[in-house]
Amino acid sequence: MALRKADQRVSISDSAGVVVDARKLTTREFNVRLHALLSQGKTRITITNPEARHNLGVGLLQGCRLEFEGSVGYYCLSYCDGIDATVKGNSGWGLGDNLMSGRIIVTRNVGSSTGASMRGGEIIVWGDAGARTGISMKGGTVIVAGDSGFLTGFMMQKGRIIVLGDVGSAAGDSMYEGIIYFGGKVKSLGADAKIEPVDRREQKEVVGILMSAGARLEDIPRSFKKIVSKKKLYHYDSLEPLERDRMVI
Amino acid sequence: MCGIAAVLYKVQAGDQRHPVGRQLREMLYAMRHRGVDSTGVTVCGESFGTDYVARLFVPGENAVDAKVITEAKKAVMGIGGSIDSISRVGSFFRVGLDFKGDVRILADAILGVPGVEIHSIGRSSEIIKDTGDSYELDRRHDISRLNGTHGVGHVRLATESQVDIRHSHPFWAYPFPDISVVHNGQLTNYHTLTRKLQQRGYRFQTHNDSEVIGVYIADKLSQGIKLGDALEQSLDDLDGTFTYVVSTDSGIGVAKDRWSAKPFVIFETGELVGVASEEVALRRVFPENVERFEPQEHTVLTWNVALAPVIGGRS
Repeated sequence: MALRKADQRVSISDSAGVVVDARKLTTREFNVRLHALLSQGKTRITITNPEARHNLGVGLLQGCRLEFEGSVGYYCLSYCDGIDATVKGNSGWGLGDNLMSGRIIVTRNVGSSTGASMRGGEIIVWGDAGARTGISMKGGTVIVAGDSGFLTGFMMQKGRIIVLGDVGSAAGDSMYEGIIYFGGKVKSLGADAKIEPVDRREQKEVVGILMSAGARLEDIPRSFKKIVSKKKLYHYDSLEPLERDRMVI
Repeated sequence: MCGIAAVLYKVQAGDQRHPVGRQLREMLYAMRHRGVDSTGVTVCGESFGTDYVARLFVPGENAVDAKVITEAKKAVMGIGGSIDSISRVGSFFRVGLDFKGDVRILADAILGVPGVEIHSIGRSSEIIKDTGDSYELDRRHDISRLNGTHGVGHVRLATESQVDIRHSHPFWAYPFPDISVVHNGQLTNYHTLTRKLQQRGYRFQTHNDSEVIGVYIADKLSQGIKLGDALEQSLDDLDGTFTYVVSTDSGIGVAKDRWSAKPFVIFETGELVGVASEEVALRRVFPENVERFEPQEHTVLTWNVALAPVIGGRS
């Protein structure tokens, strides 16, 4: 996958950091421990044995560097602001729900509803993403090096999704604003979505974002297309035939 | 909410069996947050010393009075069957029996006894389900000692019907031996499906929407339709949200709805396949770092057990 070459840049663990073994803690104890460490100024934390458990690292509101040594479950790193985190494994559903700012990298695949309602920051997936990627996004960027699934960008309001691979069915369904860039194919479009070409300026912008996220130029598709809203739905521009006849335009 | 899990070993040499019961216990325990009301498993590919094992449930005070089971025994013998063994845990009875006729006749004879419910009748599989989590299920019913070739399991959070044992999964697909289903989701056309099947002579023991899936699939199988095709047809015929797993005597099949509404992840090697609603269940049993795969919407997958013949050792 295109972004995997950035391995070296993100996985250097810090020997001055703290190690937290998730196996020994309940979910509540784990989150309380993280919050306590951050408030003590211990902001570089390595988490071992996450074992794909849910709700790990919730509500972290200050700058920190986190590394999860293994897969995480649902709602990992939700309600966070200013974090810099890497998950070395898979993530379940709802990764980075409501992210305000910061960066989350997942080295393998993510489940559904990645980046749900996020407002800023970046979520970077080196593998594939599941259904409803970027659902109801309100800002920020989701990057998927592989493919993204069914209902990608569902009800998106703002922000960007960049998929280097293919996008599944019903892409961009009920989008308000926001843009889904894709380098491969789209299985089908969702309600009120359309495909537009990407001009040279925009292409350069997308490439720039991807390279900042760790991609190498040669791994980036040469030309992206984008999915945007037709903007008929929310302007309530669908008239009944009788109404249309009576309208004076 | 509900959680489902299954495990299948692809090849066995001769009598070899695997700790399917224990693995299901672990996977279901990891997902107990998805369902706290009850837990159930179907262990498949067992070797019984009799034609069938019937798992019966006698709810309420009827179990205290042994008369009900005596009546059931008489009913079986009345149609030409013979009882080999009966073991009992509270209201649950495990009956080893021999019978050479149609399983429907056997099932109807037992159901004719008031107060008896059938959890399963199988040649090589049995369903054990009870309230509580999987460790409680094991404490009461010893599921970790059951070995087989494959199995399915379920943790239940009741949404469409009561919290009780009768409405727990897995559901046996009356009257077909060794077919069961576990389901995560809700069917919205349950009544229409049930009515159609009842008109064709099938009977249902509960008002639970998931029970109809097993009967629907088994009905297709009895018409000679292959499991994969039956699952494909169900993608259109079932309305609602679902990820469900069917167990047969020779394998398992999964169907995932068109909305990708209910989660499902797969772990597969050359030796086995493990599937579950959440990766946290897989990681509890399969710690090696093999990739987990999440199928998308409108998907059907099947796996079979291949019993390798024993001719001078492994073939």
